[in-house]
Amino acid sequence: MRRYYLGEFEEIVLLTVAVLGTGAYGVSITNELDQQSGRSVSLSAVHAALHRLEEKGMLSSYLGDATNERGGRRKRLFSVTALGSRTLNEIRTVRESLWNAIPPNSLPAIAIS
Amino acid sequence: MKKPPNPHPPRWADRLLEWFCAPHLLEEIQGDLYERFQRQVTLFGERSARQQYTLAVLSFIRPFALKRHPNPYPNTLSTRLVMISNYFKIAWRNLIRNKVSSLINLTGLTLGISACLVIGVITHFELSYDRFHPDSERIYRVIGTAKFNKTADAQAIGFVPRAVPQALRNEVSGFEVVASFHNMESGVIIPNGSKDPKVFKGRDMDIEPAQIVLADPAYFEIFQYKWLAGNPQTALTDPFQVVISERKARLYFGALPLSSILGKEIIYRDSIRTTVSGIVADWKQNSDFTFTDFISSATIRASFLKREINLEEWTDIWSGSQTFVKLAKGNTREKAIAQLVTFGKKHFGPNRGTGEFKFRPSLQPLSDLHFNEVYQDNYSRKASLPTLYGLIGIALFILLIAAINFINLSTAQSVRRSREVGVRKALGSNRGNLIGQFMSETLILTLCSMVIALGMAKPLLHAFRSFIPAGVQFSFFNPGILLFLLVITLVTVFLAGFYPSVVLSAFRPALALKGASATSGQQKGYLRKGLIVFQFTISLLFIIATLIVGRQLSFIRNKDLGFSSDAVVTISTLRDGKSAILAQKIRQIAGIKHVSMQWSAPLSDWYMLSMLTYEGENKIDLEVSAKVGDEHFIPLYQFNLLAGRNLEHSDTLKELVVNATLVKKLGFKTNAAALGKLVMLNNRKYPIVGVIGDFHENSLHALIKPTVIAYIPDMAKDLAVKLPVKGKSISDLSPILAKLQKSWHAVYPTEPFVYSFLDDSIQKLYSREQKTAQLVNTASAIAILISCLGLLGLATFTAEQRTKEIGVRKVLGASISSIIALLSKDFLILVLIALCIASPIAWWAMSKWLTGFAYHVNLEWWVFVLAGLMAIGVALLTVSYHSIKAALRNPTESLKSE
Repeated sequence: MRRYYLGEFEEIVLLTVAVLGTGAYGVSITNELDQQSGRSVSLSAVHAALHRLEEKGMLSSYLGDATNERGGRRKRLFSVTALGSRTLNEIRTVRESLWNAIPPNSLPAIAIS
Repeated sequence: MKKPPNPHPPRWADRLLEWFCAPHLLEEIQGDLYERFQRQVTLFGERSARQQYTLAVLSFIRPFALKRHPNPYPNTLSTRLVMISNYFKIAWRNLIRNKVSSLINLTGLTLGISACLVIGVITHFELSYDRFHPDSERIYRVIGTAKFNKTADAQAIGFVPRAVPQALRNEVSGFEVVASFHNMESGVIIPNGSKDPKVFKGRDMDIEPAQIVLADPAYFEIFQYKWLAGNPQTALTDPFQVVISERKARLYFGALPLSSILGKEIIYRDSIRTTVSGIVADWKQNSDFTFTDFISSATIRASFLKREINLEEWTDIWSGSQTFVKLAKGNTREKAIAQLVTFGKKHFGPNRGTGEFKFRPSLQPLSDLHFNEVYQDNYSRKASLPTLYGLIGIALFILLIAAINFINLSTAQSVRRSREVGVRKALGSNRGNLIGQFMSETLILTLCSMVIALGMAKPLLHAFRSFIPAGVQFSFFNPGILLFLLVITLVTVFLAGFYPSVVLSAFRPALALKGASATSGQQKGYLRKGLIVFQFTISLLFIIATLIVGRQLSFIRNKDLGFSSDAVVTISTLRDGKSAILAQKIRQIAGIKHVSMQWSAPLSDWYMLSMLTYEGENKIDLEVSAKVGDEHFIPLYQFNLLAGRNLEHSDTLKELVVNATLVKKLGFKTNAAALGKLVMLNNRKYPIVGVIGDFHENSLHALIKPTVIAYIPDMAKDLAVKLPVKGKSISDLSPILAKLQKSWHAVYPTEPFVYSFLDDSIQKLYSREQKTAQLVNTASAIAILISCLGLLGLATFTAEQRTKEIGVRKVLGASISSIIALLSKDFLILVLIALCIASPIAWWAMSKWLTGFAYHVNLEWWVFVLAGLMAIGVALLTVSYHSIKAALRNPTESLKSE
């Protein structure tokens, strides 16, 4: 089986695109990441990641509507492709099987807030 | 109420982004950045938002954003070639279609390039003098300032007393070589065994450069020649040795092998018998050191020349005796001059045996020799740097005017080509392609002009040979000239083509195709007008200069000199006792009334200054100019005798006639009051017996000096003859001149008869002014021609553009004259503005030029008005043809066509 490697940031961006559904574009993704992960993400990093993901075939995009606050410029809206979806699922399966394989009490106990 | 402006992100950051970001990503990235910016303005305020924006833009400088999409239609070599040939095809069609403007541009550019080419060749020639000597930066001429007595002014002198070079060698350490040489004029005799010797006459001073010098051996250490025969070390060490150049060797000895020429005999001055000890190759480069016969300077002491050239002399200076030095390595000019000043103080001054004569030596760089007219000598031909710069300026201005024509005509016609630009852009041309296209049109035109200019260069050099120095050569294959042409062409293409191509390529395709005027009208109109004003300003400057130079020259020609130079012939004699006999013989010729023995004509470039002392109430010392002539001098030249009488016949100096200025300077109230007074001249007292009116004894550059006329028999050896003719027709003159020649040969059977008309000699004093006049006339003619051509082109175009408007006006009842006025008015205003700009500049420049003359015309206002009227007249003539044609056109015709 072919494996698709994704960087950690790429994975998060890909997930965020999935979260946002039809409204995923540069600014909204950055804002969402800000809120969800609490880490400050630069717009250019998000654009770079989106660009990479599209090159890898995990995202598809089209140009949407122009808005006034964008100075009349259109936004590029992204959606996850089948390949993207499959990769996410695979990653998730691997992680879950790993989690399941951890013997009880082998991780130091922490309090989950 | 005014809305507060929308906050904007920093403009430069935006520009930066637009510049570096790949075009296919720009829209989304910029849009995102804007959206973020607007949000941040509401959250954090504008300042912080702008900072954030800048940072965000900078953070986009990463590979993904920089990488461009590959061009789906790559620009291969073959497509480029196709496009270039297409450019040329279109360019050619355009030139053919707009015949008038192409012709105007071609003429203008050709004139401009020709002027540049010719002047470039001249400048290159003049600047190339003596640039080729090894170590030339260390070679200097020893020059200085001399004061002949306490009251005299210090004079800049291009030579030193003859004892100086030897003393320099002994006393001053900073020179590697000190070499002196003495110019000599002589015929040459080549003994030819038992046969008749070959005789060569001395050079013609007006045409040929100096050839013979008596030179130190060190001369060849400073100036390097290629030795073809003989030993450079010993060639000039002994008396009666001579080194000749290869050309001279061939002239004197024909085709003999060089080695067998060594040891042959050459005789100078009839009795200086020298032996050829070396032969050197002639320099091929341009040089003021034109010498070909180098006689060893040891010859001076060993021959009668020692009486003529006193090598121990400290108290006088001779232009023929020149000294050159080569500084030692590491020595600087300043240090060497300091050494020379010390040297000068040691040898010249009170109690140094040099009397009142003072000399302060200095150094002149070799590169200055060809250009500095202050330091005179007997061999170098001086070129005036200001004149050269003036010429360069004129050439550039003419080229500029031609380029302006091109700019004006092409921008004016741009509307016609807006469709073409629209189509090209719609089909995918970018701005760069279009600029390339329009530049290639300029290039074609410029290349055509250049070819024509090249063809014209030789005839032009010939036509203007009077102010082109002899020896200027034009050859197509000189790399310097080719490079220069290349530079001129590129500069012209850039000057003329850049602006129009930028304008044309800036059309917005949608507008251009819709047929709307694609230009933003107003601004460009101003530029065009500004350029016309500039052109006419230059033309007017030239016109005003022409008028004023012409006026000054006619003033010079017609100025009453204070004496008559009409039909006066001066004859240079051998200055021996026989000249009096000649005078007697000439007096016997029928019709000749006056023959005067004189030293020089009243007006010539020879003059003699003496000190005159008058002891009246106060003792007055006066520097006066002295003219020497016998009792026929005053009647012959028809001086205006104001008081007293003419000189009487005498065999010695016993009385003086003075001019009115001298009388005034001595403080007499009336001319008659000076009569009979005794004045001291050369330590003897002489009475003043007559007073004549002031006369010019020098060119009008100089003021009239106090002058005395005296008969000094030893000096009055040349002749002036008043011919009984009016004017100078050949038929009147030739019989009388033949008689003069006959008398001459009766007295001097073997000498050639040399005479000159005083009128001509006086004219020669103004040869430089005449050259200036010629130059200014030519320049203004060309400038006016090109400007008017440009105006013609524009007028044609405007009339065409406004055909409809004129039609409508006529239908509504406008008269023909009002339409002509309408079309001409615009241009006239421009010429008037140009006049306002040109007048003060011309006034300033011409008053500077006129201050060079002690006697000159005034700058009068009507000259400027006249120049303005001429310019307006020419402009009107140019414009009117087309405006009248447009005005007379039947409105039905112009309105019907769509």
